[in-house]
Amino acid sequence: MSVGYFVKETSINLWRNRLMSLAAIFTVAISLSLVGSALLIKQGVATATSEWQGNVQLLVFLQPNISKPELKAVEAELHSLSTVKGYSYVPRAQAYSDFRRLLANQPDLVNAVPESAVPTFFRVSLVNPAEAPAVGAIFKGQPGVDTVNDNFSAIHTILTISNVSQTVILGIALVLLVSAAILILNVIRVAIFSRRREVSVMRLVGATNVFIQVPFMLEGLIQGLLGSLIAAGVVVAVKELISYSIQHFSIHLLDGFVLTSHDLFFTLVVIVLIGMLVGTVGSTVAVRRFLSA
Amino acid sequence: MIRFEEVSKSYSRGSSGVSDISFEIGRGEFVFLIGTSGSGKTTLMKLMNREIKPDTGSIWVAGKNLVTMPSWKVPYFRRNIGVIFQDFRLLPNKSVFQNVAFALEVIGKPRKYIHQQVPQILKLVGLDGKSERYPDQLSGGEQQRVAIARAFVNRPLILLADEPTGNLDPDTSWGVMNLLERINRTGTAVVMATHDAGIVDSMRRRVIEIDRGMLHRDQTRGVYGIGV
Ligand SMILES: Nc1ncnc2c1ncn2[C@@H]1O[C@H](COP(=O)(O)OP(=O)(O)O)[C@@H](O)[C@H]1O
Ligand SMILES: [Mg+2]
Repeated sequence: MSVGYFVKETSINLWRNRLMSLAAIFTVAISLSLVGSALLIKQGVATATSEWQGNVQLLVFLQPNISKPELKAVEAELHSLSTVKGYSYVPRAQAYSDFRRLLANQPDLVNAVPESAVPTFFRVSLVNPAEAPAVGAIFKGQPGVDTVNDNFSAIHTILTISNVSQTVILGIALVLLVSAAILILNVIRVAIFSRRREVSVMRLVGATNVFIQVPFMLEGLIQGLLGSLIAAGVVVAVKELISYSIQHFSIHLLDGFVLTSHDLFFTLVVIVLIGMLVGTVGSTVAVRRFLSA
Repeated sequence: MIRFEEVSKSYSRGSSGVSDISFEIGRGEFVFLIGTSGSGKTTLMKLMNREIKPDTGSIWVAGKNLVTMPSWKVPYFRRNIGVIFQDFRLLPNKSVFQNVAFALEVIGKPRKYIHQQVPQILKLVGLDGKSERYPDQLSGGEQQRVAIARAFVNRPLILLADEPTGNLDPDTSWGVMNLLERINRTGTAVVMATHDAGIVDSMRRRVIEIDRGMLHRDQTRGVYGIGV
């Protein structure tokens, strides 16, 4: 089969229907930008949440010079409280590596703090997260305890908000993706209609179905692909914007919200795959419905 | 080459089509299919080309049973059959060269082969020098020659011509008939539907006459008028 033939026919199709093609491409781009942004947020939140894995709602920071008996006393207290579901001691080395990972957005701060200055602490998970302030009060001021961080309800609110907004964004994106597929279907339908003469001659002289269908399929695939590439650009911009905002406006609640280049790469791959899928589905349906012999 | 056995085809809504048609056409024959408008000539052509299937009966063309042929094989079968029509069916936005080349392109022939075959076939139909023209820059007769070139460029075993002179004046028609005769002499069977009595009478070829979907006459060296 001649690749040149398919390239030529597909570009002619795209050019002939350029306005409708653009509409389809931009619908794909908009919906996939939403999908990509939602995915990014989801991954950033997942990193942020790793701090509280095991449902930690309370951190009890210890003084650097805490004595053995004081440490034992704190641990015994944690052990005895019925409101405490579980706890674990985080030694210095691990505390320091957590610190570096969670504050990766703020390299200046990370570099300013030596390992010895990082406090050891207990991660505490509660039966009922709402009791965090009450439980925290028990440990505040206890010998050997530096501070207690019970400020997790705000985090939970943020998690809830982010979950709801992700769902909403993905819902909208899904609707847009379906419209994009339908738009592509229509573009291909018009392309098939405007080329019905060519198609009838092709059938007459014995062109195979594959030969007749491939240019139209490619057209849809390329529309999906172009849309997804635009969306990929948008997602990269969104990622930069988020990182920039967190750094420059010191949004401390979002300190753990780290987007790695791995997250970004994954998101871009997903977007491009979805774009190609939408294009293929749209054009396949069109070809099946409007090119049947 | 072509064999119809008790072939019947009726269209939905009770339209007549053709019924109980049997005949055989040999390799390299030249046959006129005559009959009034609506008698069933085009239906027979479409049956020979597997554009439609018969309701009953069997059809063999170029050694293939068209009734049992799976649809994926139809394109390959069609490469043995050239078809031309009254309305030429050229692609208006392609040049003469491109129109003929298209037929080879879409069956996957390599560029080199196409660039060698197309000029040759255009010369054969007398259109060398006009290969860069577009269909609307050609006379009706020239357009039909392009269509013949497209149908013949693949060297088919059979050429089906459905009223190819229907839109042409008598002089031009004779030019086209000459060309079809030359093609026939290369060994290609030609089946031509027509109701041009003048052509049929002067060519004195085999005549198969259809009347209201029934085979009315099958006569070697026939003329148009007999039996009417
Ligand atoms: N697609 C169709 N649907 C319904 N009836 C048709 C169709 N094609 C042809 N017919 C009918 O079948 C009969 C034969 O038509 P056709 O083969 O086109 O005749 P001819 O080519 O001799 O003029 C006519 O009565 C015509 O109305
Ligand atoms: Mg007819």
